[in-house]
Amino acid sequence: MSIQKNKYVKYGLILLLSVALILFTMEIKLIKNPESTPITAMTFAGLGVLWLFSMIGIFISDMMQKSSVKFIRNFPILGWVSITSLLLCLLSDFFVQAIQAVDFLSITTPILTFAGISVANRLVDLRNTSWKVAIVAVFVFTGTYAGSALLAQIGLHLSGN
Amino acid sequence: MNKNLIFLIAFALIIITISELIGFQAIPLGSFTIGLLPLVFAIILTMFLGLKLFRKGIMKKIYSEKNIHFASTYLILIMLPLMARYGADVAPQIRDILQVGWVFIIQELGNLGTVFIGLPVALLLGLRREAIGATLGIGREGELAYISEKYTLESKEGRGVLSIYIIGTLFGAIFFSVFAPILLDLGIRIEALAMASGVGSGSMMSAASATLVARIPEMESTILAYASASQLLTSFLGTFTMVFLAAPIQAFMYKKLVRGDKK
Repeated sequence: MSIQKNKYVKYGLILLLSVALILFTMEIKLIKNPESTPITAMTFAGLGVLWLFSMIGIFISDMMQKSSVKFIRNFPILGWVSITSLLLCLLSDFFVQAIQAVDFLSITTPILTFAGISVANRLVDLRNTSWKVAIVAVFVFTGTYAGSALLAQIGLHLSGN
Repeated sequence: MNKNLIFLIAFALIIITISELIGFQAIPLGSFTIGLLPLVFAIILTMFLGLKLFRKGIMKKIYSEKNIHFASTYLILIMLPLMARYGADVAPQIRDILQVGWVFIIQELGNLGTVFIGLPVALLLGLRREAIGATLGIGREGELAYISEKYTLESKEGRGVLSIYIIGTLFGAIFFSVFAPILLDLGIRIEALAMASGVGSGSMMSAASATLVARIPEMESTILAYASASQLLTSFLGTFTMVFLAAPIQAFMYKKLVRGDKK
């Protein structure tokens, strides 16, 4: 039980780091561009809500590990957090207001900073990757994105939107 | 507690500061405009500075094994607040989204583009079994799990999916942040591009939708709502699309195309 508790404390702290970095990014963004999303009391509420929803998502994901359905056990934690957030935001407009006081682009910069650091040792693996696969990768990424965009374009056109 | 962690955090703050001070840069290339966001600078800087040749002195403390391990283990947690944000984008527009719900489901099939476009190219380049792993999808955790279960990661198929996984991890976000605005300039509607952004990888989706937001800020709420709804749908349907559509279609095409070139 206490191991479990320690895990949540650790996760809670890391999430706190994550939301603190978002706040920091917003502040820098404001120095660069005073017109960007201002930091208000709602911003702090929003960061708190983001933290809370993330914790709830982690908790649900852990609960679901007991499920006998493989699909539910393997459902990504990111998905549980999105679902938690969607349901609670549908229930109360306060959550929507608070979260929207947090600048979207400021959430992305710290994530990609950590993403860059996390792959530091992976660059070596590129050597084992043939240039052929690299070319294929471009077509694979193009394929999924252009494929979806074209179908969506046709769909939206047909639905008269 | 890991004492080098403080270096990692300080380093992250410096990188964020530099990236944000550079800010959004729109670079016109002929008739296209490529938008580079702070997030692109952040990932390029951290990847570049992480090169082994720089790992001396303070950089060695920042890019210590423990710190890199910390960043890769907990990247998923760092990403959670972003996912938590998406509810707030989708909720106010849930009616609109449900109204065009079928379009969201149809565009999921667009993810088969990896097979339709990627596989012929891979075979033309002379790849064979690697192509199976490399073109099943964009090589995220779902495909990785499927391929490793069916062929193991040591197989040629496994090498293919691992290569795509690595390339995607390193360059996926950068690729989508450049590619999304190009399609916008080609005349694809912003709503369609937003929907397409839900490719199934958190960082690629945020990169794609973020550049779209930077290009058309007045559509921010729609872009984020569509992108995140589609992303959520991909996490539900992605496995099914892969197992029941992508894999059989790929097997069929592979047989036809490979037999064709023996003649």
